[in-house]
Amino acid sequence: MDETWHTKRAVSGVRPGDHALLPYGDLEERDRVMGTYVDDALTGNEKVVYVTDAPADRLPGLRPRTRARLDRYTRSRQLVVLSRADACLDARGRFAPGRLLDTLGREVGSTDAEGFRATRWTTDFSWMLDGRPLDVAAMLGCEHRLGDTVGPSAVAMAICQIDRRVCPPAQYAALRDTHEVLVEVDPRFDDGNLKIVQTFRPAGLRLEGELDHARHHVFEDELARVARLPGAVHLDLARLAFLDLGSLHLMAGLAADRTADAPLVLDDLPPGVLNIIEMVGWHRLPGLVQGRTAGFPNGGTR
Amino acid sequence: MVAVSEGFSHRVLPYAGAEELLAGAVPFLRRGVADGDRVMAVTCLGTEVLLRDALGGDAAGVEFVRADSWYAHPSRTMADCLGDAEDAAGGGRRLRLLGEPAWTHRDPLEVREWQRAEAMTNVAFARTGAALLCPYPVRALPAAIVAGARKTHPETVRGETALPNPGYLDPWTYNAACDTEPLPPPPPDAEELLIDVVDLYWLRMLVGDYARTALLPDDDVQRLLVAVTEVMTNAIRHGEGPIALRLWTDPGALVCEVADRGRWRAGTGFGLIPPRIGEPDDAAGPDGGGRFGLWAVRMLCALVQIRTGEAGTVVRLRLKLPLRVDGRLSTHSG
Repeated sequence: MDETWHTKRAVSGVRPGDHALLPYGDLEERDRVMGTYVDDALTGNEKVVYVTDAPADRLPGLRPRTRARLDRYTRSRQLVVLSRADACLDARGRFAPGRLLDTLGREVGSTDAEGFRATRWTTDFSWMLDGRPLDVAAMLGCEHRLGDTVGPSAVAMAICQIDRRVCPPAQYAALRDTHEVLVEVDPRFDDGNLKIVQTFRPAGLRLEGELDHARHHVFEDELARVARLPGAVHLDLARLAFLDLGSLHLMAGLAADRTADAPLVLDDLPPGVLNIIEMVGWHRLPGLVQGRTAGFPNGGTR
Repeated sequence: MVAVSEGFSHRVLPYAGAEELLAGAVPFLRRGVADGDRVMAVTCLGTEVLLRDALGGDAAGVEFVRADSWYAHPSRTMADCLGDAEDAAGGGRRLRLLGEPAWTHRDPLEVREWQRAEAMTNVAFARTGAALLCPYPVRALPAAIVAGARKTHPETVRGETALPNPGYLDPWTYNAACDTEPLPPPPPDAEELLIDVVDLYWLRMLVGDYARTALLPDDDVQRLLVAVTEVMTNAIRHGEGPIALRLWTDPGALVCEVADRGRWRAGTGFGLIPPRIGEPDDAAGPDGGGRFGLWAVRMLCALVQIRTGEAGTVVRLRLKLPLRVDGRLSTHSG
């Protein structure tokens, strides 16, 4: 777990002052997060400033209701879609951090006058990694200044998107360190005792808290949903404090129905849970495979 | 007289001395070596020396395992051995095991569980075709243990022949007979909680606090929490309230009891037979897990005692407490 010292926040929990990073693993993950981010703003009297070269009706994850009212939102400037050329490039098409920060400052500054409660900024920086040399220093400097603008603000919040698949590890690590918050999809389930979050790379679920009979039905439903995915399905159990035998049996039953090349992989098994599984015997749980342990790959595919 | 057959067998070999032991054990092991079986001899060191000498070159075809480590825990030993038998059968071979149970230094509760395991072996291993031979030293053992062996083994071996045991009991009948006596009542100072609405999370907090105060090691605390959650879940799903949770310490053991007013249906299995790998859970309820769950509970605890009848159902879990540094047995102080 290399990201534990960051605040990990579900997208619905993003709040003013957050300068967040969305390191998405696939487009479904990005669309799910951005759809919620945009929709929550538009239904909550907040402004969205989206820097992208895509037209407004092609924004990632747009919900049908938002799409139907797109003209109204753009006319009222509750949804502001700015091209990269207008927002953050200089006359020669190069990334101009100063211009980006000016644009952000201007849009945040007009929030109150335009009658909105807050301004949500977002852009996807992955285009900067698209085969061209990246001015890392300029980018990180920009992120620091972006954080300095958003951090103390009572009305501004920002999500910087980055495609993890195209971002080299060293650059990702540097980029991550300029953000205080990592944003992720809203949990599929969270009742205070158990949280179930869909994961995308690797595909599967992250379980946090305690899983027992009281939550078998929701777990079974979520497990069945991800089990339809092709290939290995991973369960991230690093923050699972308790797993009952019924849940283990549910996992084993589902795993037994899968093919050998599509196992159910248990990542970061806490020692207490591992102890129970070893007592029962891995050989009695065919299809269940121990994956990554303590953050180090061990048959996992992250 | 019954000829030595190729199907499953579970035989007792009562012996008064080395000569009788070797007369039964050596042909049994040699037959396995000749047939290409997986041949194991689980014995004390003295018996191993005797057997190696008598087997000569055939000893190389026998895996010798020390009995005191093999016979560590009835459910775990049976599960491991059954796994070996299934593996052998899956590879087109037969497991042939000479197993000399370790009876000394066991308290009466443990002796009963090992005897119960001997009986259930006839159910668990029947489909594997394994050949199991259990030597019992009649001079060294209490007569009741030797007499018990004739109820739990279908046949007795004398030399190279096997004779049916007239006193052999159906394993489930034997199992029920083990549990006819009521459990001793909990001590007056047992912590008792009557529960109408079960919150499993809160229940684990309570049991965990008690167990840690009693100095149960961390791994065992986790096992206890998993076990009590399973038993409580069964009580919620199949029992009748109110459900009582009781906790106390006996010398050397932490005891956790779940009691309710329900009665288990016949054929529950009591978690005594390991679930077959890849086989549907035939004793499970609508959402599964019954047979697997109770079997796993037995794997997790030192001892599980069950009584079910018209008065209700009691499941008592026992976990061993470690000796304290002053050499005294731990008792709960909180």
